[in-house]
Parts: sequence; C-alpha cells; structure tokens
Amino acid sequence: METGCLLRHQIIENLISQHTDDVADAAIHRWELLAAKIISIIGEGGFNALYTRSAFLARSTFSWLPANPLSTHTDARFADLKKSMEGQTPALASAADRLLLITLTDILASLIGEDLTTRILRSAWGNDAASVSGQESKHEQ
Amino acid sequence: MSNKVNIRRLATGVPGLDNLLGGGLPEFSFNLIAGTPGSGKTTLAHQIMFSLADTENRALYFTVLGEPALKMLRYQQQYAFFDVNKVNESIRFVNLSAELLEGQFDSVLSRIVEEVEAYAPSFVFVDSFRSVAQSASDEGMGVSGLKRFIQELGMQMTSWQATTFLIGEYQSTESESSPIFTVADGILWLSQNLHRNSAVRKMQVIKMRGQSQATGLHTFRVSDKGIEVYPRAIIKEGTDIKTTIADSDMGKRVPIGVTDLEEMLGGGLPAGYSVLVVGPSGSGKTILATQFLSEGVRRGETGVIAAFEKSPSQLLSKDLNEMVTNGKVGVINTRSLELSIDQTLHDMIEMINQMQASRVVIDSLSGFELALAPEFQEDFRGSLYRMVAELTNLGVTILMTSELEDRYTDLRFSPFGSAFLADAIIVQRYIELEGVFKRVISVVKVRGSDHSKDIRLFDITDSGIIIGETLSNYGGIMSGRPTHEM
Repeated sequence: METGCLLRHQIIENLISQHTDDVADAAIHRWELLAAKIISIIGEGGFNALYTRSAFLARSTFSWLPANPLSTHTDARFADLKKSMEGQTPALASAADRLLLITLTDILASLIGEDLTTRILRSAWGNDAASVSGQESKHEQ
Repeated sequence: MSNKVNIRRLATGVPGLDNLLGGGLPEFSFNLIAGTPGSGKTTLAHQIMFSLADTENRALYFTVLGEPALKMLRYQQQYAFFDVNKVNESIRFVNLSAELLEGQFDSVLSRIVEEVEAYAPSFVFVDSFRSVAQSASDEGMGVSGLKRFIQELGMQMTSWQATTFLIGEYQSTESESSPIFTVADGILWLSQNLHRNSAVRKMQVIKMRGQSQATGLHTFRVSDKGIEVYPRAIIKEGTDIKTTIADSDMGKRVPIGVTDLEEMLGGGLPAGYSVLVVGPSGSGKTILATQFLSEGVRRGETGVIAAFEKSPSQLLSKDLNEMVTNGKVGVINTRSLELSIDQTLHDMIEMINQMQASRVVIDSLSGFELALAPEFQEDFRGSLYRMVAELTNLGVTILMTSELEDRYTDLRFSPFGSAFLADAIIVQRYIELEGVFKRVISVVKVRGSDHSKDIRLFDITDSGIIIGETLSNYGGIMSGRPTHEM
C-alpha cells in the first residue's frame, strides 16, 4: 500500500500544513493531545516506549532531535522536543514533526491496526482530524 | 401483580454461556472472571463486552498492570467479535497503571469513578484486578484494605447501574482467602487442564447470585470466533425421556430399510428409540446404518451422521455420499482427536435442529471414544448415557454402532457396558458353517415390544443387507461353530 494514500497520513499532513508560523508551539500542542489520548489507553510506559523508538528512527534523518527520555512531568513532557524545534527553520521543524508523527503512528498501526490508530488520532485531535476524514469520505463516494 | 424486583438477564453473546449462567447475566451484577494464566479470561471479557456494548449501553474497559494494553488490543483484534467501529463510540479503553503505581486504592477508585461519571457506561471491566490486589499486599495495606476497596467499588458501580466484571489471575488454592470471592455476585472460573498431553479448557460458574446456574465443569473452545461453551449434558430431574415424542408418534415404528429385519424388530424400530448395532469388523454395521438413513431420505426425512470411523473426505459409501451432497444427511466434523462429548453433542443438536433431522447415526462408539480427549475417555460410559438421553429427548431415532470382536465363550453386547442405554440391540456375528464363514444377525432386545428371537443368516449385496433363513436346526450358534440338530 502506498503510504501517501493512508487517511492517517493525510490527517497528519493536513494538520501540519495548517501551521507555518508558530510551528513548534502547534506541534507540541498536537503531541500533548496525542500523548494524553494514547496514555489513557495504553499507559505512560506504553507511550514512552513508542515515542523513544520513533525518535530513534527519526534521528537518522534529523539528527538534532533530542535523544533524552521524555520528562515524567506531564507539563514538560515535550520540553526537549520543543526546544530542539525552535532551533530549526519552520520548514525543517515541520518536516521532523511530520516524520516523528508518521513513524510513531506507523508503529502503533502495525501493532493495533490502522482502524484503531486512526480512531485514536481522530479522538485526540477532534474536529481538525475529523474534517479530513469527512473530505476523504466525499472523495470515496 | 408482584412488586418484587425483577432482575433483567443480559444475553452475553458467548454461545452456551447463558445456559451455564442460568439464563443470562443479571443486570448490575458485580462479577469476577478468574482463572489460571492463558485460560481465556481476557478473551471472555472482550467477547461479552463487544456483544453487549452499543451506543445506548456503553462499556469502559480499565486495564491495569499485567498484560500490556497495547498487546491486548493487538491480540484481541484477531477475534471476529472485535468490532473496531465500537471503539470510542460505545467502548472505551482506559489505562490505570499510573494510579496503581501511586499505590493508593483511593486514587484508583476515584479515577474509576471519574471515568464512569464522564462516560456513563452500562458495563465496566477491570483487567487485571489481580494487579490491584497484588499492589495492596506490596504496599502493606492488607486484606482488610482490599476488602474495603472491593466493597466500595462494588457499591459504587451498582449505584451507577453498571454491570461490572473484575478479571483476575488466581490459583485455585488462594481463591478462598481472597475477599473478592466473598463480595462478588457472580464468579466464573476458567481453567486449562492437561491430561496425557491433551489440554482441555473448562469453565465453572462457582456462584451466580439470584439464579440457578448449571453446576460443575463445562468444556469450552477458543477459536477465531472467540469462546464457545458446551454446557455439560445433565439429565434434568423428572424428565421423562419419551415425553418429547409427539402423541401421534407414540407407538409409531420407524422403517429401517431392511424389511425382514423390521419384522424381526416387531414391525420396525419404535420412534424415538436408540438402537445399538453390535458386531465385529466388517460384519455390515455401517451398511445397516447407511440403509437406515437412506430409508429415511426415501420417505422425505433428513438425518445426521457422526462418522468416527473414517474422515469426512473419504465418506463411507456412494449412497451416503449422495445423501450428504443432496443435503439430506448432515455430517458432524469428527476429525479432531481432542473432542469432548459435550462438544460433539452440541454440534449434533445444532445440526439436528438445523436440518430438522429425525434419524441420527453414531458410527461407531469405538471410533467416538478414540476421538475424545483422554480425559473424557475415562468417563465414556457415563457421558454416553447423558448424551443418548439428551438426543432421544429431542425425539430423534438413534442408531449407534459398536465394534465388538467375536467372543465365542461369553455373550457381550458392548465393550463399554453401554448396552443398557440402548432401547434395542441388534447383534451381528460371524459363524463357521460347513467350512464357510457366514454372517448371522439377531435382535436381542427391543424395550417394551415383542420381537423375533431368531438367529438368521444374512448377506451383504450391492443392494444392501439381505436377511436369509433362520438357523432353526442348529445349536451352539453363539459358540461360532453350530452343529446341525436333526
């Protein structure tokens, strides 16, 4: 299957392309929403394991992404990620954010399936993700 | 009209389980699904949840330490009942590991209550509850703290009108000391028993408040469809085995396709009877069984055969094959060598009802015993008794075959001592007559009916069994070497 066709990838693409100025803030906000949703289902340990693996893989393209474990403080969970993004151009930060999100959700989908993963994204990001799925279903008709 | 509370019973969606529970799951009950590792607790909980949950009656599934939620979601999706469309809409998974790590029951309880308030579920599952109990002992909170927590949780969930399930891994020895066993309204115990290299899954409803559950151990199977329970056949007290035969059928005789043999039986086989055809290998038992089914088909009836002698792919004879292909006779899959009697009985009853069959063949009891898991072979006679009672209760006429090597020194009709459970017995035997092997047939018993006591020769031809002359001038036939008496 061509990855670009996946609804999940389209949702991520669409959300990232909406923010070209405050890239780091918008990205961290999305990560916080996604983390809260995934943690509520599989626990913090489960999310941390997924994120650590995704960051490890993404660092082969964006070596400046932080290698530190996520902070245990909910408010500062993505503080290192935010700091590293702020040191890059908006385009680079967006590209890294996209890769990190796609990698993490790819791993999640390989474990619990595409349907459930997409549902988690929709549930985490609410209307922003839902509007993409709406467009998608129109295309399908 | 009575104003007493009427407890609604919910259909669990697990085939066979509602019968075990005594008619379904009592609404708002507080239940424990317990058992040894790998016994199918989480699968049972998921199957019940996916069956019961809808947008009106939602379910919350709390995962605690134990099986990681990620893996649980991955593996449970392999079952057909896992409907992804229900996730979030009517089913929500919530992880409680953070609260548990804090080691305080209060924070676990308040998080559960918080989620229940927000989602207003009709069903709540906590998996694994064992982790909560373990945490209590690690933190030195002891049994009294755990008991208080369980009572509080049970009370809260009932007042939120949620039917609740706690899932926990227990060894049978520790169950008595755990307070959950006292507090729970219902306890389902799952186990996996090993017996001579064969594993058999069993389920027991230890208690189910307010209703009469089926007692004892019952086998169940886990397939890609999920769990299927085979309630153990229990002969209900006061059940008259013949009561299900319609009055119009009372006294009716079932033709078996061999005219002379029908005469020997006193005019055919009484409807609703079980007949045992006993004989050595090659004596023509299966041919008689096939003629019995074939005669039914000729008269517009349908039949069911559980053929243990050969695999379904090499189905017996051309005649039988044709009847199966035309949908007149259903075949029970008996390929597995790990069957339980109840599983076979369940499959047979399902097919009898589906095909509205009036004739059933079990060919043979010897093959059937071999196909069972070793554990069930030990109580084969008892199980067979229950099985035949259950089948005849459906009003069908049963023909069973049983292989018995010829013994010329004693007179036996079945290797299992199972002759008593048959209403009629037909014996086939080899004898030597003037230097030639001959087959003889005799009707030994037809309960409540006159029948021929003759021993007659018979032949197997292309058109089936042909009954020959009566050996009236011979003596010592059963010794195998008859002598001519002038």
